[in-house]
Amino acid sequence: MKKSILFVLVVSLVFSVAVFANGAGDSGKDAADIEVVFIPKLTGNMFFESANVGAQDIAAKVGFTCTYDGSPNASVADQVQIINSAVARGVDAISISSLTPDGLNDALKKAQDNGIKVVTWDSDVDPMYRELYVNQGTPEILGKLLVDMAADQMTDSQKASAKFAFFYSSPTVTDQNAWVEYAKVYIGENYPGWELLTTEYGEQDAQKSFQIGQSILDTYSDLDAILCPDSTALPGMAEAARRANLTKDDIIITGFATPSSMREYLKDNTIEAFGLWDCGLQGAMGAYLAYWLALGNTFSVGDSIDIPGIGSVKVESNDIQGYKNAPKDTGIVLLPERVVFTTANVDDYNF
Amino acid sequence: MSNLNINMKNLRRALLSWDTFLLVIILLEVLIFGLINPKFWRIGLLLNSIDDFLIIGVVALSMTFVIITGGIDISAGSMIGLSSVVTGLLWQVYGMNIWLAAFFAILSGILCGMLNGFLVSYLDIQAMVVTLGTSFLFSGIALVLMRFAGVSAYEGISGFPQSFKSLMSGHIIPGLPNSIFILIILVLISLVLLSKSKYGRYVILTGINQNAAIYSGINTRIIKMSAYMLVGMSSAFSGILLSSYLNSSRSDFGAETTLSIITAVVLGGTLITGGKGSVIGTLLATFVLGFMKFGLQMARVPTQYTNIPTGVLLIIASLIGALSGNSYFRSRLKLVFNRPKKSVNNFEKKL
Repeated sequence: MKKSILFVLVVSLVFSVAVFANGAGDSGKDAADIEVVFIPKLTGNMFFESANVGAQDIAAKVGFTCTYDGSPNASVADQVQIINSAVARGVDAISISSLTPDGLNDALKKAQDNGIKVVTWDSDVDPMYRELYVNQGTPEILGKLLVDMAADQMTDSQKASAKFAFFYSSPTVTDQNAWVEYAKVYIGENYPGWELLTTEYGEQDAQKSFQIGQSILDTYSDLDAILCPDSTALPGMAEAARRANLTKDDIIITGFATPSSMREYLKDNTIEAFGLWDCGLQGAMGAYLAYWLALGNTFSVGDSIDIPGIGSVKVESNDIQGYKNAPKDTGIVLLPERVVFTTANVDDYNF
Repeated sequence: MSNLNINMKNLRRALLSWDTFLLVIILLEVLIFGLINPKFWRIGLLLNSIDDFLIIGVVALSMTFVIITGGIDISAGSMIGLSSVVTGLLWQVYGMNIWLAAFFAILSGILCGMLNGFLVSYLDIQAMVVTLGTSFLFSGIALVLMRFAGVSAYEGISGFPQSFKSLMSGHIIPGLPNSIFILIILVLISLVLLSKSKYGRYVILTGINQNAAIYSGINTRIIKMSAYMLVGMSSAFSGILLSSYLNSSRSDFGAETTLSIITAVVLGGTLITGGKGSVIGTLLATFVLGFMKFGLQMARVPTQYTNIPTGVLLIIASLIGALSGNSYFRSRLKLVFNRPKKSVNNFEKKL
């Protein structure tokens, strides 16, 4: 009798230890239980839809839930409402491309107070209100890339005294304005003879971007280069140039856009080259890192984080983006590389 | 006996009224969304969700007056942005007390409304055309103001004092968000103004028949202009609320709200052709639309699709309105429903 009781006790002890050990190994949370809300600046735009494809792919591979929700009209109040609803629903993490550097602060703070992990990608907020930022490149990297892509196509006399224009989405968007600000500094240092004739905005509207592209060509016939660091402005500008029968020998048009939207303009010689980063990769990293933090993982600056299928990424200090007094337990993850697309490599990319 | 009959008639009329219909929709929304996600039934969450559609309600209440006079104001969204910018600029750049800055923002809203009203009622230009024009004008001024003050429009102004932030985020009574009290106070003011005051009767009479109103000695021009000034004032107030809510001021705040505001008024039972309208209806419709969006988000429907049920509701509303208000439709309806009865009767007679 005593023996059998002892036997039962031992067996149950072994079982419970096994169960506890199992639980501890998963740190209490299962991949399938975790929901990440993935928020773009706006929906229906090629760039952000591609990022979402990357995010959904990695979510399916790893096994967590990734919900895609964004504002159809790029409105700050919409983003706040989406964050509020996510908090109300009790999700585990938010991965967002912010429309504003400070307008989301209170909503994100409320999310963090509720134990929700916050990651930004593409466009950042104050480091106080997020843990990681998946950065496509600092303003220095991208501003320089933008100018270099144009300068590389210029003759020596053009390099000495080029007339150029900026054409991008809007005067209120964070990232593009930061690149353009640095591009101006870089031009001042390296190409002091260049003259900025105009800065125009297409409001991320394809039709409007095309019309403004036409009016830029009509108004400033002596332009040497047009820099379009926006995924809607660049195709619009290229289309306007093509309708006016201008080729890359007449005017230099370059900027940032997705390969699928620009492939035809490369192939019919309207433009020579343009750049971007792999936004599918950026979306995947944004979604995965949010999931990774929701699992309960922590990091400090200098650590490396393994992302399945992508590799190891290093957490950099917030200083590289020019933040001062940022909290110590936050950081920035840089995308490994940026790509300059030409006819030689554009077919290798399908986004 | 006849007394009872009249009471029954009143009861039936009340039950069949538009407001009751809207109330039923709200209850249905709460029921259905709660069944999908039981968190929707938490009173605290429902009350907090008002924060996200408060500004629509605030402007819709005064928009009811404009639409009753037979006009429309599609510059409301731009006035929200302008007032946000005025508040931020006066506070940050000119070091003004935040509440004084807010006062001047309200003043600027009234001036904008005055311009709209003057063009519409004294120069007899189509309200739609005038306010479309001024909507570009106001949002343009907001951008220019930002630039003149040396604030980059994409960064906006932020860091408002706590007292200003607590306008939206605070709780005068613990557990109840301030937005509820703001809404209740404005609804009471609008109710008294429209239903209990001489002014309200003048507004309605102007909308029913402007010539008759003029012959009864009403200065319809001032009445019409004042309605636009009301919208200007409440849009400015909304801009201040939004700046407090998002703790920043930007020129593009509120830009996407205009159509939601007009939708709330029309869904609330106000005739778009003027002459008839209800403050309570507008309030209820604001809740119908607000809960719809929040509920769909809680049910994980992406925000970009939440416009579809709104559109369907609006079409149904206008259909019912047309059917019940239009004598042609009513006679057609009777014809449709009476015909089979007659044939049945004939059939019976033959038998």
